Amino acid sequence: MTGTNRGISRVGGYLPLLRLDRAAAAKALRFSGLGGRGAGHRAVAGWDEDALTLAVEAARASLGSAIPERLIFASTSAPFTERSHAAVMVDALALLPATRSGDVAGSRRCGVSALLDALLGNGDALIAAGERRPAKAGSPFHFAFGDGGAAMLVSSDAPARLIGHASLSHDLVDLYASREHPTPYGYEERFVKETAAREVIAPAIKAALASAGIEASAISQCAIAEPLAGMTRDIAKLTGVTAPNHAVDLAAAAGDLGAAHALYALALAFDAARPGDKVLLAGFGSGCDALVFDVSGPVPGAAEARAALSQGLAFADYIRFCSLSGALDLDWGVRSEFEQKAQATVLERHGRDTIGFIGGRDGAGNVQFPKSRIPVRPDADGPEMLEDARLADLTGTLVSVTADRLNFTADPPFWFGLVQFENGARVMMELTDADAKGFTVGDKLSMRLRIKSHDKRRGFRTWFWKAAPLARPAMEG
Amino acid sequence: MASGIKDKVAIIGMGCTEFGEHWDKGPEDLMVGAFEEALADAGIGRGEIGAAWIGNALDDINVGNSALPLAHALRLKTIPVSRVENMCATGTEALRAATYAVAAGAVDIAVAVGVEKLKDTGYGGLPLRTKGVANDLWLPYGSAPGTFAQLAGAYTARHGVDAADLKRAMAHVSWKSHQNGAENPKAHLRKAVDMETILKAPLIADPLGLFDCCGVSDGAACVIVTTPEIAKGLGIANPVVVKAIQVCASHGWEMGYGEWDGASVRNTQVAAARAYAEAGIAVGDLSLTEVHDCFSVTELVTMEDLGLSSEGRAIFDILDGRYDRTGAQPCQTDGGLKCFGHPVGASGLRMAYEVYNQLNGRAGALQLAKADFGLTHNLGGQPANSVAAVSILGRLN
Repeated sequence: MTGTNRGISRVGGYLPLLRLDRAAAAKALRFSGLGGRGAGHRAVAGWDEDALTLAVEAARASLGSAIPERLIFASTSAPFTERSHAAVMVDALALLPATRSGDVAGSRRCGVSALLDALLGNGDALIAAGERRPAKAGSPFHFAFGDGGAAMLVSSDAPARLIGHASLSHDLVDLYASREHPTPYGYEERFVKETAAREVIAPAIKAALASAGIEASAISQCAIAEPLAGMTRDIAKLTGVTAPNHAVDLAAAAGDLGAAHALYALALAFDAARPGDKVLLAGFGSGCDALVFDVSGPVPGAAEARAALSQGLAFADYIRFCSLSGALDLDWGVRSEFEQKAQATVLERHGRDTIGFIGGRDGAGNVQFPKSRIPVRPDADGPEMLEDARLADLTGTLVSVTADRLNFTADPPFWFGLVQFENGARVMMELTDADAKGFTVGDKLSMRLRIKSHDKRRGFRTWFWKAAPLARPAMEG
Repeated sequence: MASGIKDKVAIIGMGCTEFGEHWDKGPEDLMVGAFEEALADAGIGRGEIGAAWIGNALDDINVGNSALPLAHALRLKTIPVSRVENMCATGTEALRAATYAVAAGAVDIAVAVGVEKLKDTGYGGLPLRTKGVANDLWLPYGSAPGTFAQLAGAYTARHGVDAADLKRAMAHVSWKSHQNGAENPKAHLRKAVDMETILKAPLIADPLGLFDCCGVSDGAACVIVTTPEIAKGLGIANPVVVKAIQVCASHGWEMGYGEWDGASVRNTQVAAARAYAEAGIAVGDLSLTEVHDCFSVTELVTMEDLGLSSEGRAIFDILDGRYDRTGAQPCQTDGGLKCFGHPVGASGLRMAYEVYNQLNGRAGALQLAKADFGLTHNLGGQPANSVAAVSILGRLN
């Protein structure tokens, strides 16, 4: 390929708190012979997480102080089919309204394809992928998939520079999902393994290596998305690339993250790379995009993405897993009939401040949320102009709290409480990601974008910020 | 300086239905039941009523919105009828409206009815409603016990109290109200419950257990007010009069400004201080209180907010029996929200009904030996965003 100085300057990986112990959970299916020989963990989104929130959290981890000119959201499980998640993300990340934004989908390769496009384009770009893919209970996908997000910031003079690439479009139907069949339908594994490796992945990788002008043996780390588990050895035989494939480790620790998988694995590969290493990325799905990077130094965010693999809360409750993943529609009783119908006019007035968690700073310097014409400050004596003050990236302290066991939530109890920010703002907030200890007055909290309301009747949802423990527990083992 | 409401308005009749799960009664039955009792008590003709108010907080369940349900139910012909709503403080708001109308000289006799028909929701607990489409975007919609339970953690944090000690005092609050409710023929929950049962009840919202929560009930209560002069003309030589009614509403300070520690309700403190001043009495003059014990911890905190207990001492006063029916300043002699029940819009008037009966010596088995001044405390919303309504009733002379 022609010389370029463009590359990946920062990466971000995000996994939900809960990690299903596959082997323990699969015992619930023992009677059926389904469930497979599960091992490792599967990252399971909370009830209030979706592809967008997972991508936003990954994007936050990858952004640093950058202000990208372009933002691409990649997912095969995005909640909306007509409403751009990338545009929502611009507000959630408090980026400039002039940011060029777009959503990509179509196959789980979309995240890598968008990354390649950004690398071949101009200006700083953020590629953020998030997946929370539905799957039927009992299907191999239900255990194999994982929920999570990954993001890459593309810019010039980056520590991971693109030095070669190749693409191959190939309508290989290894699995599909459709409007009529939203969960994946998979075909014969032997067919998929043989054909995907020989006809799709290996040719793309070979072409990328040729583009980079390097031999397979020069690759020291790779992130090759496997269409099915256990294909790395076959791909190595076909390509000669024998470097460790971090996509395999990721699938074991968190599951197949779909559009985010290869990108998250790339972050892990960057973390393992030393200066001068060549790193291979291959995204699969209706073809393959293969990219080769030259790593000149540490890639910010990579170490945190690796650490996130072992920071979570393991669980083995198969029914809870089925409920959280949407495979089981529990009857939560009359209280769950509570409806919040969002109005577009209200979203137009308040939506940006809400999803951006933008409060207002009054004339005396006090910050409040939400904004108001007359500040909440006790000595305010009339309307004031409030300056924007974002709360999303600040730490809060819990003033009061309870675990509400009466009102409906899809994963009881419903934690909520009063959160105090150092800049003066205080907000009554939902709390999320409770660990075994729960929450106590005085706890330090960080902010997470989550689903606020889910109007299932109308197929709509709103997002707001919730407060989560500052640190996650370390997983045992 | 306003002269206040003291001694300007007399209560000449009150009525209250049994509170409970009235599967066989609609809101019309409840309103008529409370009103007819009050009317008979007052000994006036229904045509003498000059204006009416209905207090109803959860209109869309059954009662219906506007004042028309009351006008229809009582067949109030051509007089002004209005609806007031201020969450759980609604009942006292209705009393305040009627009282002010008489004090202003706008009418000679006014009636206020509080009513709620909660048991048509199809489930236990208060119904969950949105706080508006803009608030939907960010405000957590916890349950009522969830919002009040937060007093507990904040209280232990402020006072360095052991959570187990607080829980025991909370349990005593409920135990005491069950003792009283057991002897009240109109109470929803008429069964004494032992401390062990209360302490071991399943959690509703940490640390509130089932017995820390009040009954959710159907019911109605009614008051008829007039001038002391007219009351005397009706043969009531020394009528029960309104000594004070004060309301204090949050302006967002608690929930939106970084000062409040969540362990007390400032609106109660302010409303109470103003009420004592308006009535010209001190807290020590109170013979009894009927406070908003939606949850046991609310009553505990309210004892301090009203000045009955000093700061941080409510736990000890409660456990010492100070607010038991045999104590120095009994609280919830009728069982309170806890056991009489909490049909939201009626509760403020139900509290007044108990004080009125105690002052008139008509409280039956629950009658106190001494009843000079009684206070009602009606709290709407949640500690972080509330409306507190405090009234003081006493004798004219």
